Amino acid sequence: MKPLSVSAVAVLGAVSRSVRYGFDIMDATGLPSGTVYPALGRLERDGYVRSKWESQTLAQREKRPPRRYYEITAAGSRALAASLEHYRTLGDRIGVASRKPAAG
Amino acid sequence: MSEPGAFSPAAAALYQRCRRIVRIAGAVVPEHRRDEWTREWEGELWYRVTLLDRASSVDSHATTRLTIRTLGAFPHALWVFSDEARLDPMLQDLKYALRGVVKHPMFSALVVLTLALGIGANSAMFSIVNSVIIKPLPYERPDELVYMYGAFSQGNEASVSPPDYLDYRDRNRVFSSLAGRTIFGTSVLSGGDEPERVRSSIASANFFATLGVKPYRGRAFLPEEERGDHDVAILSFGLWQRRYAGDQRIIGQTIAVDGKPLTVVGIMPPVLDRTLDVQLWRPIPFNTDGTSVRRFHYLRLVGRLEPGVTLAQAQRDMDAIARQLEATYPENESWHLRLVPYGEVVVGGAKPVLLVLLGAVGVVLLIACGNIASLLLARATSRSGEMAVRVALGAGRGRLVRQLLTESVLLGAMAGIIGLTLAHYLLVGVRTVGGGILPRLAEVEIDGVALAFTFALSLVTSLVFGAAPALHAVRSDLAASMKSLGRASSAGASRVMRNTLVVAQVALSFVLAISAGLLIRSLWELQRVETGFDASGIIAAEVSLPETKYKTRADNVRFWTLFLERVRAIPGVEAAGATTLFPLRGGGDTYFYIEGQPPATDADRMNATVSNVTDDYFATMRIPIGSGRSFTGVDRAESPGVTVISDALARRLFPGQNAIGRRLVVDFGRPFTAEIVGVVADVRIYGQLNDAPDLMYFSDRQPGAGFGTSRMNLAARVRGDPTAIVPQLRDAIRAIEPDVPLSAIQPVTEILADSRSAPRFRTQLFTGFAAVALLLAIVGLYGTLVYTVTQRLREIGIRIALGARPLAVFRLVVGQGMTLVALGVVLGVGASFVATRLIEAQLFEVTRTDPMVFVGVSIALLVAGLAACVMPARRATRADPIAVLRLE
Repeated sequence: MKPLSVSAVAVLGAVSRSVRYGFDIMDATGLPSGTVYPALGRLERDGYVRSKWESQTLAQREKRPPRRYYEITAAGSRALAASLEHYRTLGDRIGVASRKPAAG
Repeated sequence: MSEPGAFSPAAAALYQRCRRIVRIAGAVVPEHRRDEWTREWEGELWYRVTLLDRASSVDSHATTRLTIRTLGAFPHALWVFSDEARLDPMLQDLKYALRGVVKHPMFSALVVLTLALGIGANSAMFSIVNSVIIKPLPYERPDELVYMYGAFSQGNEASVSPPDYLDYRDRNRVFSSLAGRTIFGTSVLSGGDEPERVRSSIASANFFATLGVKPYRGRAFLPEEERGDHDVAILSFGLWQRRYAGDQRIIGQTIAVDGKPLTVVGIMPPVLDRTLDVQLWRPIPFNTDGTSVRRFHYLRLVGRLEPGVTLAQAQRDMDAIARQLEATYPENESWHLRLVPYGEVVVGGAKPVLLVLLGAVGVVLLIACGNIASLLLARATSRSGEMAVRVALGAGRGRLVRQLLTESVLLGAMAGIIGLTLAHYLLVGVRTVGGGILPRLAEVEIDGVALAFTFALSLVTSLVFGAAPALHAVRSDLAASMKSLGRASSAGASRVMRNTLVVAQVALSFVLAISAGLLIRSLWELQRVETGFDASGIIAAEVSLPETKYKTRADNVRFWTLFLERVRAIPGVEAAGATTLFPLRGGGDTYFYIEGQPPATDADRMNATVSNVTDDYFATMRIPIGSGRSFTGVDRAESPGVTVISDALARRLFPGQNAIGRRLVVDFGRPFTAEIVGVVADVRIYGQLNDAPDLMYFSDRQPGAGFGTSRMNLAARVRGDPTAIVPQLRDAIRAIEPDVPLSAIQPVTEILADSRSAPRFRTQLFTGFAAVALLLAIVGLYGTLVYTVTQRLREIGIRIALGARPLAVFRLVVGQGMTLVALGVVLGVGASFVATRLIEAQLFEVTRTDPMVFVGVSIALLVAGLAACVMPARRATRADPIAVLRLE
């Protein structure tokens, strides 16, 4: 399986930690909206997250339009774990490869 | 629910702004996903704004942050769009094409800019043609409008007398409405900060209704106001805005026009400003002294045809009335009306010129297309390996063609957008410099039709130049391409195609260059034409004396004597005089005969142009006196009538004899007998484009001579810059007559230059087009040669390896290039013989097969062609045989 992109991992990671709304995900990841939303779209298309609308009653009680929220799927959890593993390995490898000999 | 009523004003404004951004971005989202997409964004925005509002932290920092975040809706929307498009094969092609464009930025930029240049120029030219010629006049049912000239045995662009007009109006059965008005009138508005001369017209009461124009404010003239005892006026929109600041209260007020109080009753809409150059309207006072003489023709008529009546039927009906009038009134002999569709009169002579220019700019586009086809063909050849692989992998040929065409259309669309921008700026430029040259200039714009034209043009051109590589792809031999994979194949068919393109380009640009050359020579000849007077340093200004105050010729003479005295006292002024006829302005002609030889019939009558001048006029203008004398103080009101005639007139009247001392009887309403006291040189008083008219000059002091001197032109010869004395001129007239304006102040050299502005304008346009065409053709030739040399590098390398000298290789390449150029020139010469017929009418003193232009342009093209050959040829001589062969 191809690992997810770094931004997708960040977004998916946020969703897995129950950061569920688009703008909250931006806050959590520090990524701009132009990255977060397409990433969410792609993740949803590939079945790693699913989106739902919050209940009308709740929104009505707070006199505001309902918000859309995202949840991670089982496939999403697997993909996230696999990708994190991939990047970790990669990091280790680079870490070794790029370690410079001590000065002198 | 989603209205932010609960927000503070600042928060509500922020929410509204962000929501607007989302709505705009949402336009990109496919419709079936748009609602959900929008609701998601709005939900988040609302929530965020609520949080900010509750914390009372809607400050500029928070506002900016949220706005920037909202801008992310654009990439999001684009993502949704592309996500939807993923599966559409057409969009797949587009994506592939887009990738190709981005991957080869230089190539793409070259193609797009070349094409944009062609499309932009064509869109601009088409917009002009569309606005000036094609678009109907902005009047109600303009097809029904007919313009009428007076016509008689000696002219068909004359005017109509008011009594004749009334008879035509009453008796005709073909027009639902027939109106008349004067052209060329001016009036002076006084009683304000500064007196001002405006263009005015006296019109029949039904004039506006005939055109179908309703007053913008107030009303049009009433039928009873044609009787001459109503002092009313109507203002144009422009005059109302400018002089009266658009104040509606002007209606019902009186303004001073030519010293008389007139009540403003209406204001006409802006459409009339754009189509008629009139600022002030007055009703015709019928049945007064000035309007009851059938011999005085000064109206032009406009009629609206009854539904179903043709122009020919109308002409027949009017002819019948003309014959009735002729039978009743002897002075109407041979007088009738000439009917012309109104649109033709407005557009006039601009039509053929514009169509030729449109053709020229079309040729430029054709050449640009040739270049692009050549470029794409080169790329297609180098891509034939790629195409072969795609076919091998199962892509149908149809799919390949479609993909290639998608690429061209994409390039075409990009060029179209840039071209449209270019066209916009070109039109801005044309509107700036084209004043007075093009009719209906104010209406010139890129409208829906021009937009559609540009769109169609982009599509058609991209299909045309895209067809070449597409055909190539279809025909290319799969097996051969596979074999030479990784090395470009030298398809013979494409070489022939490219060579043909180059020859055609050279031939087309040759035709344009010849046309430009002929026009440039015409302009040059025109500039060299002697006017017969010395225009340098002369400043002209018009003075019109109010007839209420200046009743007699003596009054006018008194003014001019005083005024000229003051003008001569201005430092720098060397001489000053005045005339009723000035270079390119005004003038009138009349009948005359040599005393004792009255004409037997009307057809034998002779006529000449008339000018009243002050004594110093000839000296000021440096018009040489051939024989006799100029006017002097001895020529007074009561002394015998005298005249000075032009050289050509003297030779016509008294060939081989002395004209001095002979006497002429001239018709100024009543006969005026004048002795010829002088003969002066001919002057091209109507500009260099027109021949010198036969002229009779009279002294401004002799009351029986001329058509009145209430309007005359000052001519002052100044050392240095003639415009420098304008303030002193104004002071001089203000000291004598504060209410009389000095108008049309202009150096005469400028007036002459203006008269050449139309030919100069089209010559500049043509030269520009030809230069672009030539450049494109040379670039095309260069590209072709570079390409061929690259293709034949192996062959050349082998030749060099076998001992060919660099010079021989050089000759080989140059020979190939110059063969194409020479072929193009030969074809171009042939085509030019035919094509220059189109511009023949615009040539001046140059034949359309002028050998100088043909030889000059041929040499220029051959030299330019040679220059394009040298670089590729030098490159060929440096081909390293070893390096080349190693590529194998």
